[in-house]
Amino acid sequence: MASVAARSFVFRQQMNTRRFDFASCLNIKSFYSSYSANPKEKSPENYTQYHEVSSDNWKFVERLKPPTVVPSFPKNGSCFSDWTPPPDTPPNLPYFVKRTKNFMVPVYLNFEAVRNQRKITMVKHIEGDIWALEKAIKSHLEEVTKRQVVSQVHEVAMYIKFRGDYVLHVKKWLLNAGF
Amino acid sequence: MATKIINKTVTEFSLRITRCFFVPSKTIQTNATLFQERLETSITNVEEQLPTTIRPPLPIIHSRKLAFPPKFKAPRQVWVSNMDTVEEEKLGLIDLHPEVFAERPRVDIIHENVRWQQLYRHVSYANTKMRYEVRGGGKKPRQQKGSGRSRHGSIRSPIWRGGGIVHGPRSPTPYFYMLGFNTRLNGLRSTLSAKLAQDDLHIVDSLDIPTDDPSYLEKLVEERGWGPAVLFVDDNDIMPLNITAASDSYGHYNLMPVYGLNVYSMLKHHTLVLTLAAVERLEERLLFHLNRNDAASAGQKYRLDSV
Repeated sequence: MASVAARSFVFRQQMNTRRFDFASCLNIKSFYSSYSANPKEKSPENYTQYHEVSSDNWKFVERLKPPTVVPSFPKNGSCFSDWTPPPDTPPNLPYFVKRTKNFMVPVYLNFEAVRNQRKITMVKHIEGDIWALEKAIKSHLEEVTKRQVVSQVHEVAMYIKFRGDYVLHVKKWLLNAGF
Repeated sequence: MATKIINKTVTEFSLRITRCFFVPSKTIQTNATLFQERLETSITNVEEQLPTTIRPPLPIIHSRKLAFPPKFKAPRQVWVSNMDTVEEEKLGLIDLHPEVFAERPRVDIIHENVRWQQLYRHVSYANTKMRYEVRGGGKKPRQQKGSGRSRHGSIRSPIWRGGGIVHGPRSPTPYFYMLGFNTRLNGLRSTLSAKLAQDDLHIVDSLDIPTDDPSYLEKLVEERGWGPAVLFVDDNDIMPLNITAASDSYGHYNLMPVYGLNVYSMLKHHTLVLTLAAVERLEERLLFHLNRNDAASAGQKYRLDSV
């Protein structure tokens, strides 16, 4: 026994929102409860025509899909932004600051506001002698800004935080250092 | 007498080994002679009956291509052992990706993972009654004014002895929460790195052992100095029959597919034994998540507080 679970609320919604139109009541969607109750597929001439396109054209679809994994950056050519690619050889220093998976320099601006807008510059992905790195960056920042800089070294999570907005200064220093 | 013992052990095996080959106990009992020969040999003398392993010239496994080749970190090299013989035979040397197996172990992240694994399934059934649940206390004990005593509305109010508890435990209280995707990912990396650094990680070519005798596995583990508890990890979730039968009687030798690998189990077992297939799958999955383009959607299905 086929029981029709008709979506008549669609019809009712249409009634409420716009003027009653006889054509609108033909838009009722019916979902039958069993396979046998559903209308069967008709012969192909009852449906719209289609033609198969060559499978070579699939590349036009594929190039629209986003990559699943971060693709590598182009080796040649200049970037119009101030992004520089990571170097092929690491600098000869007791520490190393690894780029993120999107090849960006890992310096971030955090807002750790309790009552005021406290800006914190955070350097992540540090390997090696973190204290030496902190000393180097701190001395550079104090030289540039002519004021004392407060910093925090987190040895377990391997990050450094500077109190203040020094993101551009730190990024520039890291790029000059060769990271 | 001997036949009876053999029949009993055969039926015990058939009841317990359900994942490998399902063999109904009836047919085993009637066709006991089929298994008799094999069981007799395995029960009596292990060393004599094992076939001598014939191997091609070593090293069999000598190279492995790393996905997302590391730029400045050196890959960690480990021996690949065998499981064919009790004595360890090194089949080759392979590279392990440093971003998976040589990360700085974050003890705080490992702790978070262990805490999560223990707590997310915990339901507290402790219960206390509130003032409306405690028996009695519907009537006003005495009139509001005139008695000279303090005023009360019910004898089961929280300030009364025997009254309801205001902020007590309410059963059932779930402690479910989802740890962040990257925290769980880094937990696996940290634990694998710690295991490798502490010589508790071993790679084997496969989990095929020549006999299903439990004492073979015990001898193997003892001989190689693997810890009391060993966790064998393979890519497939249906393990070979012999190792399943051998490890079945031991609670401390456990088999696990790669998708079941977790921080708690790795810490609970002293030694972690991975097959080559498991290493491939592990690295492929972890490195994919570390280099994926759409990082935000990694934890999408675990977001519980948003619609």
